[in-house]
Amino acid sequence: MAQLAFPTEMSSSVLAPYLFVSAAMFCIGLIGFLTRKNMIIMFLCTELMFQAAGLALIAFGRQHLESDGQTFVIFVLCVAAAEAAMALALVVLLFRHRESLSASAWKELNG
Amino acid sequence: MEQIISPIALYLICALGAGGIALALPRRSGSKAFEYGGGLLVAVALGGAALALGLKASDAGNPMPNLFFYPFALIGIGASVRMITHKRPVYSALYFIMTIIASCGMYILLSAEFMAFALIIIYAGAILITYLFVIMLATQAPTGDGDDDLDDVDAVAREPMLASAIGFVLIGLITAAMFGGIGELPEPKMTQAQAADSVLAHLPKKVDKILDREGLLEDGWRVSRDHETGLAMIDVDARTIQIELVEGDSVSATRTLGAQDWPEALAADNIDRLGFNLMNDHPVMIELAGIILLMAMLGATVLARKHTELEEALKAAQARKLGTMFHDDEPQATGGQA
Repeated sequence: MAQLAFPTEMSSSVLAPYLFVSAAMFCIGLIGFLTRKNMIIMFLCTELMFQAAGLALIAFGRQHLESDGQTFVIFVLCVAAAEAAMALALVVLLFRHRESLSASAWKELNG
Repeated sequence: MEQIISPIALYLICALGAGGIALALPRRSGSKAFEYGGGLLVAVALGGAALALGLKASDAGNPMPNLFFYPFALIGIGASVRMITHKRPVYSALYFIMTIIASCGMYILLSAEFMAFALIIIYAGAILITYLFVIMLATQAPTGDGDDDLDDVDAVAREPMLASAIGFVLIGLITAAMFGGIGELPEPKMTQAQAADSVLAHLPKKVDKILDREGLLEDGWRVSRDHETGLAMIDVDARTIQIELVEGDSVSATRTLGAQDWPEALAADNIDRLGFNLMNDHPVMIELAGIILLMAMLGATVLARKHTELEEALKAAQARKLGTMFHDDEPQATGGQA
């Protein structure tokens, strides 16, 4: 069985495009969170932001030739799974009360 | 930052992308032309970013990322733009799966193979399916194919211009900050070979298996273990392995395999290093992750539970019914009651 070669050192000019993609995905997630009214889409956008953070972690871990970045992505995944479960339970609960997925159906929470 | 991308190009790309997304975000009056125009602007911005980064790198003679990076980045960002601009939630979720798969491709290019496949299984397989279930549970089926039938929740975006401007100012700031500091990143602490094989000493059984498969071990021989720490006696720098012959409980002979015998297959792969890092350096985090997941499960169950109010009479009737069932099935156990 052929073994995968251990990664060689990565130049910062290779790291930069990955970081750009990560920043772009994060900000697209942010824009989606701010603009969309559907609560499910809003939570989906937070998942997109988790995803972008994970990409940056793995790219930096690769740059340092260490596994810590990947380990942190495991925990990011774990928090994302917990968040998805809670958020979706909350959405189902709120939907039962107002029969609407709109975040503006809960305007009185503005305070 | 100057050596990565020129600031003017970066800000121009950000402005183009912001305009594109603001155009493409859902609105009631807009026609399809807005969506296509916005998509075109975002695509031009992405192409500009690739070009600006690539030109700078090739001018300075720096290496470029793997060729496969470009399609993955394009699919990833394109699908995430489509995800926030699509009017139908189910399609948004499906586009998000596409983003996940594209970033898995980038993980593989960054030699994080295990995380790539774990991400597909956990995200695309589990989390997104839960999202799809909830979307289908909570969304009323639209009456027709046209966008006019959609609810205001999905068909109209809130403050698209302002949010896009904020978002892309943020992209400009984040990338400027990261590219500014990228030249001062510290060198890796270990050299490539040390990083690759430092884990091997902790995995004597794996070393045994590989040496055995390569035919370097006769019957009864194994890699020497350190008496106190249990580490395999491997010198990674000199490429030597000490092996020993075990008879009963005692070591009767030892021998050293030189660098010429070092098998090519003897290397720690991604899963070895990741698992060792997880278990050795972050043991408490695993416990914490377990607690977080358990609490989330409990919380979700409690939150999503349906509160049903039963009449007192109905409760009593149900209890009686249960009692008689019990009575019929196990006369000995409930004999004293009824």
